[in-house]
Amino acid sequence: MRYLLHATLGACAWILGVVIVARFVPLEQALRVAAFGVPVAFAAVAVAWVAARPSPIGLMRTADLRLDLKERLSTAWERRLDGGPMDAALRQDALARAARVKLAAAYPVGLRRGELLLTAALAVAAMGLLLLPNPMDQLLAQRRADHIAQAQAAATIAAAQKKIAAASTPAAVDPQLQKILQDAKAKIAAAPDPRAALQTITPAEQQLLQLSDPQTPARASTAQNLANNLAATNAGRAASQALNASPSQGAQSLRDLASQLQSLSPQDRAQLAKALAAAALQAKDPTMAASLNQASTALESGDMTAAAIALNDLAGELDSLQQQENNDQQIAAAINGLEAARLQLASQADRDAAQSTSGTATGSPSAGASGGGSGTGTGNPNGNGQGNGTDSGNGNGNGSGSGSGGSGGQGSSGSGAGQGSAAQSTERVYVPAAPLPGQSENDPAPLGPGQDVPLTPYTQVIQAYEQTALDAANQSLIPGSERDLIRAYFSSLGESGAGR
Amino acid sequence: MIAEEPRLDPGRVTELARSLETELARLIVGQKELVRDTVITLIAGGHTLLEGVPGLGKTVLVRSLGQALKLSFARIQFTPDLMPADIVGTNVIREDKGRREFHYQAGPLFANLVLADEVNRATPKTQSALLEAMQERTVTVGTETRQLPVPFFVLATQNPIELEGTYPLPEAQLDRFFFKSLVPFPSQEELLEIARRTTGNTTPQLRPVADSASIVAAQQVAREVPIAEHVLAYAGRVIAATHPSRTELDSVKRYVRFGASPRGLQTLVLAGKVRALLEGRYNVAFDDLIAVAHPALRHRVFLRFEAEADDVTADQLIDEIVEKTDKSAA
Repeated sequence: MRYLLHATLGACAWILGVVIVARFVPLEQALRVAAFGVPVAFAAVAVAWVAARPSPIGLMRTADLRLDLKERLSTAWERRLDGGPMDAALRQDALARAARVKLAAAYPVGLRRGELLLTAALAVAAMGLLLLPNPMDQLLAQRRADHIAQAQAAATIAAAQKKIAAASTPAAVDPQLQKILQDAKAKIAAAPDPRAALQTITPAEQQLLQLSDPQTPARASTAQNLANNLAATNAGRAASQALNASPSQGAQSLRDLASQLQSLSPQDRAQLAKALAAAALQAKDPTMAASLNQASTALESGDMTAAAIALNDLAGELDSLQQQENNDQQIAAAINGLEAARLQLASQADRDAAQSTSGTATGSPSAGASGGGSGTGTGNPNGNGQGNGTDSGNGNGNGSGSGSGGSGGQGSSGSGAGQGSAAQSTERVYVPAAPLPGQSENDPAPLGPGQDVPLTPYTQVIQAYEQTALDAANQSLIPGSERDLIRAYFSSLGESGAGR
Repeated sequence: MIAEEPRLDPGRVTELARSLETELARLIVGQKELVRDTVITLIAGGHTLLEGVPGLGKTVLVRSLGQALKLSFARIQFTPDLMPADIVGTNVIREDKGRREFHYQAGPLFANLVLADEVNRATPKTQSALLEAMQERTVTVGTETRQLPVPFFVLATQNPIELEGTYPLPEAQLDRFFFKSLVPFPSQEELLEIARRTTGNTTPQLRPVADSASIVAAQQVAREVPIAEHVLAYAGRVIAATHPSRTELDSVKRYVRFGASPRGLQTLVLAGKVRALLEGRYNVAFDDLIAVAHPALRHRVFLRFEAEADDVTADQLIDEIVEKTDKSAA
């Protein structure tokens, strides 16, 4: 019984310790850790009991002393295997005496009052702390949300990988794409937070872009010009249509045309040579331009064989263009996957930043905005928060947000985050801005140097500035990497502001 | 291991001892502790040194013992001129049919119960002869060694006062006594009872409750009483604690010159066994050892002058030793 109390005391102390630590350190699965101590405490006490428990002869001696059995039990036990002349009588005497007394009285359960009270106090304290809200819960929730966001981003990239692998026309760069995406996925999953994970996306996108051939646009333009010029000729009309369909079909059509050059009329040849010459003049790709020139010159000089060879070379270039376009499509799919992951991570990073800069503000923002119809929906959530800093003074803040509507759908509700900056020292930084509605009248904003520009505390407008900048970035065709720079800039401002 | 069957049932020994104590109580008023110590010594096969002023019933005790046990009894009054031959016997010339030859004339030691009265008044030579007989249970006269009767029980007395002209027993000789019992002065009620019993016309006659064979059998049975190891260890610790060099008690270190000998441990354990039997038990308990510690050890703990100066007695030190010696230690 006493050992059970020891075990209970140990378990309560462990639980209380874990609960206290969990209020200062973000401890994942604190309850499980606390519960783990209970069987450990009982097991340790059980081991101690086994190690410290008295031997049978010790028990006999104790019973002899406490029950005044005059060493009958211990002597009988010690000589239990002996067959001396008095041993049988001794055993009978010992048993008879032991039967007359209450042996349990020799081993009273002596619970120490102090230990009992301490155990109860620890249990109550642990229970109380378990029931009270834990300030670390918010941080843990944020961490869990971070992990979820990172897992979702990784899953998005994995989906892009699957899509690339399942493409009907495999590209030559597929293995490299898969490796880059795989690396990015692993880094995102291993990143400590979404903000760090975001930093892995831009390098991955740059690696993907390096896989793309820079000559592809020039070749595509040349092919398009060729199609346009051939459309006006009798012999090349079919090839023009094929080129418009795809470079590979155009290549096949040009090969057919090369094999039919002998059967063309002189007018058709002249017309074809003229179209090829015009296309060569407009060509931005030097190789294709050279092939077009050779074909045009050969047709004009009547060298059908050389013209056929030049057209076949041109067909080869178009095949190459087709392959490059396939590559670019796969690269684009990969970049799309990364961008989708970026959006997920950025959203979570924004939420994290909002929570970290809110300080001890207790205001809860409300968000509610919707856009309707096609086009872009916007929302203007707002929230107000007030908080108390560790220094004297009061702080307040507000939050605003906007939501961008999907294309052709309903505008999504805007996200808003209340921002309350804790009161800092008496030093304040003011920036030119109109005073906010919530600004206190007994804290009038000073005027700027020109006595006509009102100044507002920097901390009150930084969130609005950031949101405005991010909204503008979201609504423009600004690459994700650049939006990251904007986000990082405001995050650093928020950190420095919080540091002040 | 098959042990030899006891020649007497342990219960019979208890009964014998109780009968003896009851019978002695008919003549001896009070002195229960003295009677108990005497019976224990008798059954343990030892000898007792009684210390007490004259007239406290020492002789009556021994004589009564002889009557109750149907044993031969002899009383020797020790004086400074008592010679060894006076107690162990001597060879005398006897003429038989005109032929002279030495004939051994047995001394008073050839009795089952011997009262050596005021043993400290005899010279060391005579004391030594007595103590040798006590130890060896034989006497040697000339070249011939003779066995003393069995059982052989010496009850020596000495007077703690009137020490002028006495020869105190040396430590080695004291160690041969199993017990040293103190004969206290009777209480007021006991005094009156003594007067009532001894000043009338009749004196109670004791009936024999045992014979020599029963005593010898009881002595064998007593040695078969088991003692647990931890009880034996406690006895060993008690003996060790009487030694100034091995004790942790400051009083022992200060007042004791020499501690008890191994014979003291033997006495403690054997006396404990007998007392257990007398209590109707078949094992030795701590209480047995504690109960016999005084008579077993008081003449084996030799005190310094400081003890006499501070009026500290051996019994006080023994009390402290048995109280502070740990019983629960392994």
